[in-house]
Amino acid sequence: MHISIYRYDPDSGENPRMQDYAIELAPGDRKLLDVLMRLKDVDDSLSFRRSCREGVCGSDGMNINGRNGLACMTSLSALKEPVVLHPLPGFPVIRDLVVDMTQFFAHYHAIKPYLIDDGTPPEREHLQTPEQRERLDGLYECILCACCSAFCPSYWWNPDKFIGPAGLLQAYRFIADSRDTGTVERLAFLDDVYRLYRCRTIMNCTEVCPKGLSPSHAIERIRLELVRASS
Amino acid sequence: MQSPFRDSPKSLNIFRIRFPIGAIASIGHRISGVLLLFGLPVLALVLDRSLTSEAAFESLREAVDTPWWGLLLLALIWAAAHHVLAGVRHLLMDIGIGSPLDQARTSAWAVILTAVIIAIAAAIRWLA
Amino acid sequence: MKVFLGQRAWLVQRASALTLLLLVALGAALLLLGPALNHERWHALATSAHGAVIIVLFFAALSLHGWVGARDIVLDYVPSTAARLSVLSIVAAILFAVVIRVALTMAAHLSPVS
Repeated sequence: MHISIYRYDPDSGENPRMQDYAIELAPGDRKLLDVLMRLKDVDDSLSFRRSCREGVCGSDGMNINGRNGLACMTSLSALKEPVVLHPLPGFPVIRDLVVDMTQFFAHYHAIKPYLIDDGTPPEREHLQTPEQRERLDGLYECILCACCSAFCPSYWWNPDKFIGPAGLLQAYRFIADSRDTGTVERLAFLDDVYRLYRCRTIMNCTEVCPKGLSPSHAIERIRLELVRASS
Repeated sequence: MQSPFRDSPKSLNIFRIRFPIGAIASIGHRISGVLLLFGLPVLALVLDRSLTSEAAFESLREAVDTPWWGLLLLALIWAAAHHVLAGVRHLLMDIGIGSPLDQARTSAWAVILTAVIIAIAAAIRWLA
Repeated sequence: MKVFLGQRAWLVQRASALTLLLLVALGAALLLLGPALNHERWHALATSAHGAVIIVLFFAALSLHGWVGARDIVLDYVPSTAARLSVLSIVAAILFAVVIRVALTMAAHLSPVS
């Protein structure tokens, strides 16, 4: 299999370059990550993040043949050769396929990703009806791999100010939660030309989400909630 | 929070990105919008001339038959068709109609192709 | 104070779009129903009360819609504040001039009430 990988070494002082690799597939190779891990045995200078290798930790997001995805969830059989690997687009590159997520997580923190409850705490636990719990489906599963935000043109142009699809999906996860009492302040925070309204419903986010979630749908719901709140 | 890596290189070459069809419809929406924005002052002047006199009105009709004005008109017809169709698509998606991914892909194709067909039909009529 | 509005601008964009759709449909119906268009019929149509209202509203809504669109494009692609301000002032001046020009045109051609 032929693979062309983006290489960047900050200590060399050289510009990023593409490096071509040729590797024989082993019988056990199923996913792109399998091949990357064997490549690392051959060339230990190759850097990428990975941990759980089954689409739960969200570490190995990268641009694979022009689309963002998780290496551990990308089947080798579906890939056209040469496989071209870039780090997540628009994110500062630390080394090779490893990008800096500082800004991405700053947006996540900004939407207050925790329940706000101003009422008296319940004796045991907050109860939800099955319907109320169902509203969180398609929202809570996000693993913050950044495939969506790094595929969003609006996020490319304003990464410092636009919350991005991942952060907005998380924002809606708490707006939609029946136990959360912070909806008004959450919506007020999002009513901003940069934070929410850079989204043009391009839907690149939903196209690449490895968990099959739809940040664009969450954003659509936030905008409707804002209309409801202001009328 | 400022990233300690803010001066690092970024990998962002939009020609190496495989854009989904929705992104193509979206950039078309933007390009057509810019074309229409440029067309707006022209349209205001056309309105003025068309009302001035019989001769001015007829001169506008004749201008449409010349290649350059005809091409400009054709570009604006495509732009208007694409912009209106893509706009209606977004208005519907705003209220949850057609916003699931498979439907959004289909409607993106429909918008792009219909606008091109309208432009081709206008071109054929113009040449005839 | 925020220079660029969030939800308000988004609503203006949607409302002006709906207005434009309605006006184009109305205008097209008026133009297509009836005999072939010549200067006489066009002049009568455009300077009639409903015709003039449609035309002025159309250009006003188009300018408003164009403003929000141009603003979004500038916010995306033009990072420097100075460049943003110059592009947006030019756009605003042109859109303002368009509305004034159309208003003057219509005022000049509306038959005086006598």
